[in-house]
Amino acid sequence: MVMAIVPAYNEGKKIEQVVKDLLLQVDSVVVIDDASTDKTGVHAKRAGAHVLSHRINRGQGAALETGHIYARMMGADYVVHFDGDGQMSAQDIPPALEHLKENNADMLVGSRYLGQATNMPWSKRNILAPLARLVDRIFSGVKLTDSHCGFRVLGQKALGLIHITQDGMAHATQIIALSKQQGLRLVEFPVHITYEHYGQGALGGLKIIKELILGKIMKL
Amino acid sequence: MINVFQILFSLFALAALYKTYKRKKVQQISMREAWFWGIFWFAVLLVVLWPNSVQMVADTLGIGRGSDLVLYVAVALLFYLLFSLQISFQKLNRDITKLVQKDAVEEKK
Repeated sequence: MVMAIVPAYNEGKKIEQVVKDLLLQVDSVVVIDDASTDKTGVHAKRAGAHVLSHRINRGQGAALETGHIYARMMGADYVVHFDGDGQMSAQDIPPALEHLKENNADMLVGSRYLGQATNMPWSKRNILAPLARLVDRIFSGVKLTDSHCGFRVLGQKALGLIHITQDGMAHATQIIALSKQQGLRLVEFPVHITYEHYGQGALGGLKIIKELILGKIMKL
Repeated sequence: MINVFQILFSLFALAALYKTYKRKKVQQISMREAWFWGIFWFAVLLVVLWPNSVQMVADTLGIGRGSDLVLYVAVALLFYLLFSLQISFQKLNRDITKLVQKDAVEEKK
């Protein structure tokens, strides 16, 4: 069974279409409503998703781990991390799964820099992205073209071994670091992202570094 | 001759010592924390009542003025406390997240 895990916070306007698109490509969609103040959960359920609701907002990393717990419980063979804001393309999933299987890998990481990230802001591509790659390399020890894209496919082995404890956006680096620690085989895959909003800025990046440092100190 | 400042600060340090003792008695703080705060407030009491003692320590350490030493120690201590608080805050956050995750999955069952 292929299960898509969609963390969502106030994505009421987009989530229905995202779930519908996903259901054409995967067997099951689980939306983790991270205490949205709009009707995200209602819309997701109406579109056919399983909805798990956080009573209080805990962040994208925490929502993904809730999805992992549920996927392990349901015995998913593959899980796909997918954003709820409609910027990703569900059509990337079948070739990504194929690529993962062909390469006998445990986890696939989507990359915006190998593929077509439409309308990506200049500052993001040329300033923030290289810095993010450097930070990721320092904290995870893995050289990737992009680890913050949010699109990932995990096989059963990776799902069993990767337990996300970084609640916020630092989870992206933590997932890569954990995959290295656990000796998992990683592959990258070009994905299509259509930018409608800027997303993480420089301040968000600094917050991620702070979370990663605290995580190291606390051995999270 | 003891001045008003010394009286007020001594009373404050004594009250803090008493509170440390009370909190340890009802197990609100660990033995380690009780020793830390006990020694800290006792040191404050000594410094307030015998300000020259700080000057003696400062001279030994090669710091010009006793008040500078107090300032350095206070800043270091504040940074340490801030760091400890940040760690406690993160641990608390982790526990809250685990509860929220468990609740979300249980509700779905």
